[in-house]
Amino acid sequence: MPDPIYQFEVKRLIPLDVFGIDATFTNSALFMVAGVLLSFGLLMYASRGRSLVPSRLQSVAESIYEFVAGMVRDSMGEQGMKFFPLIFTFFMFILTLNMLGMVPGFFTVTSQLWVTAALALMVFVIVIVVGFAKNGLGFLRLFVPEGVPIYVLPLVSLIEVISFFSRPLSHSLRLFANMLAGHITLKVFAGFIIMLLGAGGAASAIAPLPLLAVLGITALEFLVAFLQAYVFTMLTCMYLNDALHPGH
Amino acid sequence: MPDPDRGAPPEKGHLSPDDIAEFKRRASELGTQIDSVQAEKQAEIEEQQDRANRSRGMAYGLRMSTELVAAILVGGFIGYMLDTWLGTLPWLSLVFIMLGFSAGVLNILRTFKRMQSEIEAEKGFHVGKSVSDDDDR
Repeated sequence: MPDPIYQFEVKRLIPLDVFGIDATFTNSALFMVAGVLLSFGLLMYASRGRSLVPSRLQSVAESIYEFVAGMVRDSMGEQGMKFFPLIFTFFMFILTLNMLGMVPGFFTVTSQLWVTAALALMVFVIVIVVGFAKNGLGFLRLFVPEGVPIYVLPLVSLIEVISFFSRPLSHSLRLFANMLAGHITLKVFAGFIIMLLGAGGAASAIAPLPLLAVLGITALEFLVAFLQAYVFTMLTCMYLNDALHPGH
Repeated sequence: MPDPDRGAPPEKGHLSPDDIAEFKRRASELGTQIDSVQAEKQAEIEEQQDRANRSRGMAYGLRMSTELVAAILVGGFIGYMLDTWLGTLPWLSLVFIMLGFSAGVLNILRTFKRMQSEIEAEKGFHVGKSVSDDDDR
């Protein structure tokens, strides 16, 4: 049976050593660059005409813009549009990488915990910086909910602190785990087809069954690839909203 | 020029009973046509909304599961760090795992509340409270 984990192996393409730091250009880095170039190129190409009546590609780009802008306005209001470039970049980056991962044989960058952890930590640090820059020490009100009696306040604050620090973990784990699990499931079911065909006889006759399953899972994975990009972006908006208005 | 398809133009202000019947028939025909087109479109729109709601529900579902796990892990980690620092293994770990669990439940409740208010804003009613269903009929 083909190894379902093999697809997640990070391979060294161009070994590189920058002052003792291992900065090897890996297949993961290659696909990140490809994702950035693809999303950038696509959006630039789509918006080159800037016609009032959009072409097909332009209307795709416009609907992505509207979608993310709607998400930002819904969760943060008009003043949240300051963060729109950041959030749009996150969305496009994750969506493109997720979709690239759906191409057979391609590497799925978002199924690497360190990539998603880096993204989540970036959001976490930005939230803290923006929170303190906007509200000063008032940002700490996030850990002091209103209307809580003083004698349980330490306990509630402690729970709020844990809840706050669990954010980057759940933020990164969700994207990573969903992409990893989906791709492993696909590979395992695809492996069944080969195994059944190889067994011959009656076993070969039921080989189309896992093929049907693979078909269904592939459709589901496309949905998950989009939903995970959406969820990641929406949570980024929510966390940034907390940074702008800590006492809610 | 009289239009040959429309028949003879009526006399001034006068319609024969046949004409009136014909008008009524045509009007009701048009009415049923409009109704059927509207019903078709309505079903299409509702189906689209349904699909959007379903995928949003899935997005929320995917969120809640990790929310709980992450909070427990972080609680346990903080407890373990404090334990190794103060030499009180395993007591603070246990306490902080419990706190982490509370934080996880709190996160889930908040997510649910948000979802509720979103649906409320959209549909104008409150889910989870006196929504009429099959039992009420």
